[in-house]
Amino acid sequence: MPVVVLGVLLGLIGLMVRRPGRNGSDLPSHIVAAATNRLPAGRQEWGQAMLAELTHIPDRGRRWRFTIGVLRVTMFPPVRHRGRVLVAASVALALAVTATLSAAHAVPSLAVFVAVLGLLLCGYTTVVAARAPRPPRTVAYLLVCVVALGGLAATVTTVVQIAGAHPSATTDHTHVFSVLLALIISGYLAAALTPRRTMRHARAVLWWALAATATAGTVWIVIALTTSTTAGGVTGLISPVGIAATLAASIGAAATGRDTAAGTRAGVLTAILTAPIHFAVTMTTFVHMRHWTLTDPYDIAAYPHSGYPDIASYLLGDILGGNIIAGLIFYPVIALVVARIGAAIGTGRPGSSTRRIAPVAR
Amino acid sequence: VTRVRRPSPQTLAVVQALAEDPDRWRYGYDLCTELGVQAGSMYPILIRLADRGLLETSWETEHVPGRPARHLYRLTGAGRAFVAAMTPAGTRVAAAKAAASISAGAPRRGRPQFGGA
Repeated sequence: MPVVVLGVLLGLIGLMVRRPGRNGSDLPSHIVAAATNRLPAGRQEWGQAMLAELTHIPDRGRRWRFTIGVLRVTMFPPVRHRGRVLVAASVALALAVTATLSAAHAVPSLAVFVAVLGLLLCGYTTVVAARAPRPPRTVAYLLVCVVALGGLAATVTTVVQIAGAHPSATTDHTHVFSVLLALIISGYLAAALTPRRTMRHARAVLWWALAATATAGTVWIVIALTTSTTAGGVTGLISPVGIAATLAASIGAAATGRDTAAGTRAGVLTAILTAPIHFAVTMTTFVHMRHWTLTDPYDIAAYPHSGYPDIASYLLGDILGGNIIAGLIFYPVIALVVARIGAAIGTGRPGSSTRRIAPVAR
Repeated sequence: VTRVRRPSPQTLAVVQALAEDPDRWRYGYDLCTELGVQAGSMYPILIRLADRGLLETSWETEHVPGRPARHLYRLTGAGRAFVAAMTPAGTRVAAAKAAASISAGAPRRGRPQFGGA
């Protein structure tokens, strides 16, 4: 079965790579358009220049080589203030190394996670310093930054809490989950904090996402405080509250701006902001559970041979892994579909797209 | 004290290619294919040259239906002077001028500042 799924996925990717889209656009042109849109304001003209140049390259192989080059330029555009970038990179690297050494000493099972997260955040800081973006100075954007950073801090704190209380629950011999968690939460942060220059109805998008996030967060906290948790059946790792919040934000933003792209963006931003909060609330609830019992026949049979010192570590390790995969990795994919549906409902135009291509700067 | 960095061989190749016919506007991808330089290296070089006032940029005015206008590049006056100073002959001339200006008691003038690529 996994082979079939892999085959289908590879086939789809192959089709996407080979098949030209509507108006003759293909994957390289989409990638270049998306990448150049994220260039700093002072470099936008160069982004348009590279995009225009791509349209004159007929050969597929050359188009892909050119696209890879453009990606390199957009990731690391030439910097005007080398000193500032070096200082930012040095400080971030020093912090990452310090955090890794501290983790290796205090919570050894999290050393790889902290090292990877530190390096990723160091890289992100360097890229931000090099690109010198001008983020929108609005209350909504600042609140999004606060919520995104708070979500990351809450996630890290929760994992450290688990490692402190049940070290073997966070032991990851393959380091797969450590790397995945670091990748996904730093990716969430970057996605939430990176302002999109060409985004229309930005205020509506940000405010709808913030309102939905605040509502979902409040509901989760109230549920965690008022209901008793049982580890027998893991509570919904993909929360219906989160899905409802995503749907509401996408409908609201799409209806406000009469724009499906704005609705989708609001829904995805809601998912990005709510997923770490849900992860932190759920895992914190489990960490504070006092009585752990095995109810599932598979667990009852597997636990004695698992090597875990106690049932709590065994179940927490299982829940942690499940939460990383379902709550942080799969959830945004589902949320994207929900956001698309919500956006279509909000505009009353299913399947329509109101995306515009930015005019060529002259 | 201003640190002057010598431009990379790729940067020199780009400015020399542009200097071959300094009045002619060139396309970015044509320069890539002519010099065998990848876009990921070529555009940072062009951006830095433009930042330092050595490169003039413009947009194509002839409209090709269904295709966006392309960006065009050529050296500015300062760019041409820079190329002249960078070539071996130009370096000798610049050195001779510098020596002459020192012997005449004139203040020293450095090369155009260049960040390298």
